[in-house]
Amino acid sequence: MFRLSANLTAIVLVALLVIPAVVWPSAKAIDDVQATVDDVLAVLRDTAAPLDQRRAKIRNLVRSRFDFELMAKSTLGRQWKNASKQEQETFIELYSKLLEATYVGRIEAYTNEKITYGSEKTKGDKALVETHIVTATTDIPIDYKLVQDSAEWKVYDVVIEGVSLIRNFRSSYGSIVEKEGFSGLFARMENKVQELEK
Amino acid sequence: MPKQLCRRLLLFLMLLGLCLLVPDFAVADSHQPGVETAADPTGHDPFDPFAEDEADLQIADPIEPLNRGIFWFNDKLYFYLLKPVARVYRVIPEPARISVDNLFSNLASPVRFANSLLQFKVKKAGSELGRFIVNTTVGILGLFDPGKSWLGWEKSKEDFGQTLGFYGAGNGFYLVLPVFGPSSLRDGIGRVGDYFVDPVSSPYYFQLNNWEQYALGGLETVNSLSLDKDTYEGIKKDALDPYLFLRNSYIQYRQDRISK
Repeated sequence: MFRLSANLTAIVLVALLVIPAVVWPSAKAIDDVQATVDDVLAVLRDTAAPLDQRRAKIRNLVRSRFDFELMAKSTLGRQWKNASKQEQETFIELYSKLLEATYVGRIEAYTNEKITYGSEKTKGDKALVETHIVTATTDIPIDYKLVQDSAEWKVYDVVIEGVSLIRNFRSSYGSIVEKEGFSGLFARMENKVQELEK
Repeated sequence: MPKQLCRRLLLFLMLLGLCLLVPDFAVADSHQPGVETAADPTGHDPFDPFAEDEADLQIADPIEPLNRGIFWFNDKLYFYLLKPVARVYRVIPEPARISVDNLFSNLASPVRFANSLLQFKVKKAGSELGRFIVNTTVGILGLFDPGKSWLGWEKSKEDFGQTLGFYGAGNGFYLVLPVFGPSSLRDGIGRVGDYFVDPVSSPYYFQLNNWEQYALGGLETVNSLSLDKDTYEGIKKDALDPYLFLRNSYIQYRQDRISK
């Protein structure tokens, strides 16, 4: 009997600890953004660590917070359906690599900018988090758009000074696909990834 | 003075009329969203509740080959002349360069003030007027910006291109201007309007001659480039096609500014 009640207690305890996390997934998108931004800043400031290590860390942080697949689909827009299964897979892979490489490439550009946080707006399972990059001379608004993905919020677009990255990509990638087809686009993306990873 | 004012008003109305006549050219850039659903003709993004309708963010580019030529020229101008000069210019300590930036910005106050008023943005016009008075006096002719740092009055970044947009003028088509860079038919016309209001270029206030204007324009450009952190280099490095990246960024940026 004692054993049973101990087991029951344990089950109730575990249930109490686990269920809230399942039912109310990470309360606020802004907390998830802030956590990732803080982690990224920590890596950027840690100039003593070897560059390879820092790059790998940034890559992991970005990969865990961004929904590359969704961004890739959204970037191709209507073209997504014109692409074959094979082309879709190749695109997602190249696109993820390219975004990672772009982010990682910014390590050297960092010089002590500060990030401030504004408000958070939520509409259904989507959220918009306002942040600012502040330096002595500039104040650049950066909005993160996130979608709830089980326990976490994942970024699906970044809006810098009113310019949506995904819309920009959709427009320019679309023009390239129209003129050069998917093979032309993939060749350009591969070249870019190689250039950035140099 | 009333005669001058009349002429300016007339010019404004003429430019406005011209712009409203400008149809938005057939859009070259018609990549709509619609990941799952069929594309909506308005360009409404069914997935993204925070997005503006995309139809507003497209621009025709009927003179793309010419634009690309001017883009190429501007690129060379940047890398072979302006940037090297700005690099040398950086020997001047940063606080001094920030002050020069403030000075030019304060000089251009009439442009922001007039365009705020033309759009009935009274609060913005008020803070521009306040900023001009405080920064010109306490801020020593605008070298410092106590209007913002002490009183929290933000600069209002309004121009005549935005005023025309406010009255419903579309972009027309994409235009890359020599030296000035990305623009549109509407914003190009907007530049002409602001030319008459900006004290540096205006034939009405200081009446500087051409060379004095070029020198001041050059100084302003080099000074602001010296404060910039390689924005253009970053774009060149990251974008698959910098021309397309800038074209779309410009349109999105302007649309966002007009809506504010």
